[in-house]
Amino acid sequence: MRNKSSKIRSTVSIRVLQVVVGITFIVLLGRVIQLQLIEYDTYSPISQRNSIRQEFISPARGLVYDRHGQLIVDNQPTFTITITPINFNRESIPLLSEITGNTPEEIEERLLTARRYSWHRSSRLFTEVSFEVFSKIQENLWRMPGIGHQIEGVRNYPATVNGSHIFGYLREVNLSEIERNPAYRLGDKAGRSGIEQTYEDFLRGELGTQYVTVNAFGQEINQFDSGRHNEPPLKGSDIHTALDIELQSLAENLMKGKVGGLVAMDPNTGGILAMVSSPDFDINMLAGRIDAEYWRQVNSDSLTPLFNRAITSIQPPGSTFKPMMGLIGIEMNIITPQTTVFCSGGYYRGRLYRCTAEHGNQNLEQSIKNSCNTYYFWMMNHIAQRGGINVWKDMVDDFGLGDRTGIDIPNETRGIIPDSSYFNRAFGVNRWGIGDLINLGVGQGAMGASPLQMAVATSVIANGGYRVQPHIVSSISHADGSSEFKSTAKERIEWIKPGPLSIVQRGMRGAVTDGSGRFYANLRDVEVAGKTGTAQNPHGENHGWFIAYAPYDDPKIAIAVLIEQGGFGSTSAAPIAGLLMEQFFYGEIRRPWIIDQVIRKPPAPSAPSATTTPTIQVTTD
Amino acid sequence: MSWYRQIDWVTFLTWLFISAIGLIAIYSATQGPLHQGTHIQGNFTKQLLYICIGIVILIILHFTAPRTFQQISYLGYGFALLLSFATIFLGVEVSGEKNWLPVFGFRLQTSEFLKVATILAVANYLTSRRENQAGTFRTAITATLMLFIPVILILIQSDTGTALVFMALIPIMLLWSGVPYGLCLLMVSPVIIGYLTVIDYVWGLLAAVLITTIFFFLEKRPLLTFGTFLASIIIVIGVQVGLHDILQPHQRSRIEAFANPALDPRGAGWNVMQAKTAIGSGGIYGKGFMQGTQTQLRFLPEQSTDFIFCVIGEEGGLISTSLVLILLALLLMRLLGQAAAHKHPFAQLFIVGACSIYLIHVVINLGSAMGLMPVIGLPLPFLSYGGSSFLANTIMLGICMNFYYHQRDFSIYS
Repeated sequence: MRNKSSKIRSTVSIRVLQVVVGITFIVLLGRVIQLQLIEYDTYSPISQRNSIRQEFISPARGLVYDRHGQLIVDNQPTFTITITPINFNRESIPLLSEITGNTPEEIEERLLTARRYSWHRSSRLFTEVSFEVFSKIQENLWRMPGIGHQIEGVRNYPATVNGSHIFGYLREVNLSEIERNPAYRLGDKAGRSGIEQTYEDFLRGELGTQYVTVNAFGQEINQFDSGRHNEPPLKGSDIHTALDIELQSLAENLMKGKVGGLVAMDPNTGGILAMVSSPDFDINMLAGRIDAEYWRQVNSDSLTPLFNRAITSIQPPGSTFKPMMGLIGIEMNIITPQTTVFCSGGYYRGRLYRCTAEHGNQNLEQSIKNSCNTYYFWMMNHIAQRGGINVWKDMVDDFGLGDRTGIDIPNETRGIIPDSSYFNRAFGVNRWGIGDLINLGVGQGAMGASPLQMAVATSVIANGGYRVQPHIVSSISHADGSSEFKSTAKERIEWIKPGPLSIVQRGMRGAVTDGSGRFYANLRDVEVAGKTGTAQNPHGENHGWFIAYAPYDDPKIAIAVLIEQGGFGSTSAAPIAGLLMEQFFYGEIRRPWIIDQVIRKPPAPSAPSATTTPTIQVTTD
Repeated sequence: MSWYRQIDWVTFLTWLFISAIGLIAIYSATQGPLHQGTHIQGNFTKQLLYICIGIVILIILHFTAPRTFQQISYLGYGFALLLSFATIFLGVEVSGEKNWLPVFGFRLQTSEFLKVATILAVANYLTSRRENQAGTFRTAITATLMLFIPVILILIQSDTGTALVFMALIPIMLLWSGVPYGLCLLMVSPVIIGYLTVIDYVWGLLAAVLITTIFFFLEKRPLLTFGTFLASIIIVIGVQVGLHDILQPHQRSRIEAFANPALDPRGAGWNVMQAKTAIGSGGIYGKGFMQGTQTQLRFLPEQSTDFIFCVIGEEGGLISTSLVLILLALLLMRLLGQAAAHKHPFAQLFIVGACSIYLIHVVINLGSAMGLMPVIGLPLPFLSYGGSSFLANTIMLGICMNFYYHQRDFSIYS
């Protein structure tokens, strides 16, 4: 028999246990009340978020048209695999790896990137997968929670043009860009050059959102609330360019195998008709998933295909600068249209500055037509003696040289037009003299301009002394139907007077009919005015220039062509401009043999040339 | 007194009510459109069958002589140990726990029946000793061993939850063996201190101080108290070192996830987060039968078994959860009340053991589901789906009801 103390002990123990049970249930009840009553507001939204997923629908990127309304850039559907890290289970990596053919490490790495972007939002895991992979993913979606799929657009270029430097390529945005701009999601692409970059905000469009009910495996069940909260994506704005696709296409063909840049523009509006930089890259190769090998090749090419020479190459303009010099000389009262300078094959000032020939007495018009260096050495000497270098620079700048033109594609360079402070910086105060300036008279020495800048300057001469704003894009059509137009306002350059200008224009017309441009640029039915130039290159073959506009009396097109290391401008650059004029005015090539000649011309091997260092000796034609 | 008046109808009806609530929750957790074709779809009909079998078991157990339980206790214990041992070799692994023994096409969770057999055996052992022997240290050691052998067998089957149940039973059963209270406290203290240290070592230290103080007042032995205090400190330091230096990162992350589930919601903390979200989003009235998004869209893991309470919480709201808690409390209080009134120590001890098992299950299951402790998979008695656990629990309840029904007959046995 149990004694009394033992009995008491067991009874006490049971009471203790009852108290423990009581306390336990009070604690549990308290916790339930805490969760369901007090923290209801915390958990209710979580449960809604859990079961309702916000999904983003990528908008279609805006299209690009040429001036005749021909489509040049559009989108093509591609298949994308997405991942929502919070729902993703690492155990699905082997299956995913098997389906996509990517290594588990690769998937792991992409998962980490996706997590850094967001745990809860879906981001792209693989883009541009084949349809086969895409459908396999679709079949196995239920086995891989957190994995999703969508159809997106990738840039497509249906026209015959490459236009790589104009359109530019797209690359995926990085995490810091996403932080700065909430409009981007991981895997979104943004324009990284050309108009794709400049007009990124217009082309991109707005993300759409949809709310879908999902289960824990990330599988969609249906549209939440019958799709009442969904917002459709807003298509990107379409862009209408001033480009002429036929002209651009021809220009690209003509520039193949050469190093240089070319700009053709409407001298009255500034609209760019064609712009080529050679060598270029294949924009289709950079449109979708980028081939690493190709990307490396493009980046490491010593001819730098990614570099847009039409707006960034700075070369001394050579004799193409002479028409501008003539106008400046008149305005600075150095010359009158009747002033003659005697050319005996050069100009002596401390040393001999050579001319190409013994031209004899030359007035302004003749000096342009014959490209007489002596005339301009003489003129520049007078400007320098008067201490007029800074006035000269301001006037040269008015033509659009020496500063960015403000064209709507990025990475334009300023070019170099020196003033006294430039020389003070470059040579030191009082360490430079008239001898350093005389070369400038023939567009040589410490100056440089891009083909675009020369095209703008040519337009000024062509259109009667107006500065125009060069632009690729002429109007933007928004998805809502509204449009905005680029201002084509032009600004009168006050000091350019019609009288002197017509003499210069006559000189340029003469250069094409009788001067160095007569072989290739002189068209039968259209009056072309132009000027060749050969910029001295201390590192190799000279650079060939040609600027031209036509028709002479009512200009519709202004062209500047630079062929680096192409030799004489009259034989390297002028034929290209001549053919472009034919295409532009006739719609066909009437001298096909010139095409053969241009294309056959062996390319000059060249490293990207820096601004030519100021040189003493000059040859111009 | 007529026979039916001696039957504990309150206990029976409470049991039936709880089981019915569980069945409804299982229906909701397994019959939704997203559960079509999954392996848990058959759970509802099976559980319905188990409840029917449970009723039959309860009836049969009422016709059994209470003495039988004493007589077969050791035999049952041995047999259950053997089954458990066999499970180690012949067992089937289900979700990481190798504690299922295939018998006649059924999968038996032997550890569930081992619980019943063990408390029967321990209760018999502790109460059949003569008084002068009962208080000895040897008795305590033997009883502890009887509880500890199952712990080892079950740990080999990697069923942490059930092993914990047995370990928690040790101090409770020892209270009856006549071991001094202080010693009992000493045996529980490492678990308490260790657990609190995982949360924060400050809590661990506080618990150590508190426990040694209580120990001093119970035993009045300064030297032993000091030793206890030292040991407690060592536990705190040991757990800290173990947590930061010994445990593998993924193991630590699981423990840390418990401390802060929001850290890695999809990983270790996912279950806790989803469970809390399910309960919390239920509010007062719940989202309605079959309307819980967490449940129906399968955000809840193990929703028909370990997380059944979340289904009830989400779809039935505070009304249902508090009803379940009250019913469970009522059942335990009633059984313990019967134990206190019972004359026979064997019956007392068995009922206490059974109630302890229910309580530990409730605490661990609800604690896991409501984010009060790390997630340990244990079924909620009578509510969770699972034949072995439901039937084992029902057998225990049946034995308790048998002791109540036959309480007048007991005097002649002792």
